[in-house]
Amino acid sequence: MPSDLETSTMQKNSPGSGRRLVVLAIGGALLGLLAGWLTIQFVTGNWRIGAYEYHGIVLPTPESVTDFTLMTHAGEEVRLSDFREQLVVLYFGYTYCPDVCPATLSTLSLAMDELTPSEKEQIQVLMVTVDPERDSPEVLADFLAHFDPTFLGLTGTDQEIAAATRAFGVFYQKGPGSAASGYLVDHTATVSVVDRAGQLRLLFPFGTSSDDIAADLKNLLDEKQSASQPAT
Amino acid sequence: MKKTKFFVILLVGLFLVACSSGERDGVTVEDVWGRSAPMSASNAAFYMTINNAGQEQDSLVAASISICDVTELHMSSIDDNGVMSMRQVQQIDVPAGETKNLEPGGLHIMCIGRQADLNPGDSIPISLSFARAGEIAAEANIKEP
Repeated sequence: MPSDLETSTMQKNSPGSGRRLVVLAIGGALLGLLAGWLTIQFVTGNWRIGAYEYHGIVLPTPESVTDFTLMTHAGEEVRLSDFREQLVVLYFGYTYCPDVCPATLSTLSLAMDELTPSEKEQIQVLMVTVDPERDSPEVLADFLAHFDPTFLGLTGTDQEIAAATRAFGVFYQKGPGSAASGYLVDHTATVSVVDRAGQLRLLFPFGTSSDDIAADLKNLLDEKQSASQPAT
Repeated sequence: MKKTKFFVILLVGLFLVACSSGERDGVTVEDVWGRSAPMSASNAAFYMTINNAGQEQDSLVAASISICDVTELHMSSIDDNGVMSMRQVQQIDVPAGETKNLEPGGLHIMCIGRQADLNPGDSIPISLSFARAGEIAAEANIKEP
């Protein structure tokens, strides 16, 4: 009578199967938690399969940026190469620009807020004015401090600014405005990132989100740190 | 006599309520905002969503903000090379049944010669002139930089 045997076995084991159910339930819950945690890690970009995919435009071959000299909003002469210890996040803009420039600086400031203080220290945001006629060092200082006190404004003579724009392939030209606005300046609105080897690595077109910028900058910092560590 | 006075006040009251509701001939304006800015930034931009639930196209033809010397309608555009240019536009058309977003990097109201600070939480009155709907009063909410 196999059926009878089975029944008796089942009956005998019934308290044990209850315990097994509990174990299964706990195991299932733990698996669920693990899956959830992995999903969160994956979605937030802490854990990923394969190489990191940049949100910005990665230069296929990093280009060395021609060095240039400008004056900071504090009146000090600086060269781009003076920031070799840091990642340089560079934007060309002007304070008369009410729309795209404040929007970009706002995004950069939000991106910086997403970084740890030590990460922030390794990054310098620079804004080179394309309107030195109206953007005095004082105006630049006040304007940038509004977004982030660590942002540095740079200005110079027309020739110096032209040299800086050439180094980044940036276009700028006075455009027509109204009698009230005066002239406007058309300019490349893309943000450039120069790594600690002085090479142009990444471009953020207008509209790149602060989350994407922060993630890319974090990754660039990690990459450079591991690359600069001596081989063991 | 007292009754007439009462009705006059009532009518004026109703008229004011109708004016302040921000809706005329199916055109409504929502989410009006600007970015906080220091005085060193002489100009500012204001953004909003314009809905036209009416049967006819309407156009925003002018805007007026008391803290600005001059208020113009502008459009920023970015070409394939990432070059931004901003130009004044004469009007912003909102076709019947459509919504037009004024947003960063595109259409905006440009405040030239700003005379007051813009701080987060401030509310700035803006008067918008539409070709058909007439004047619509709105309040711009000033956001964090």
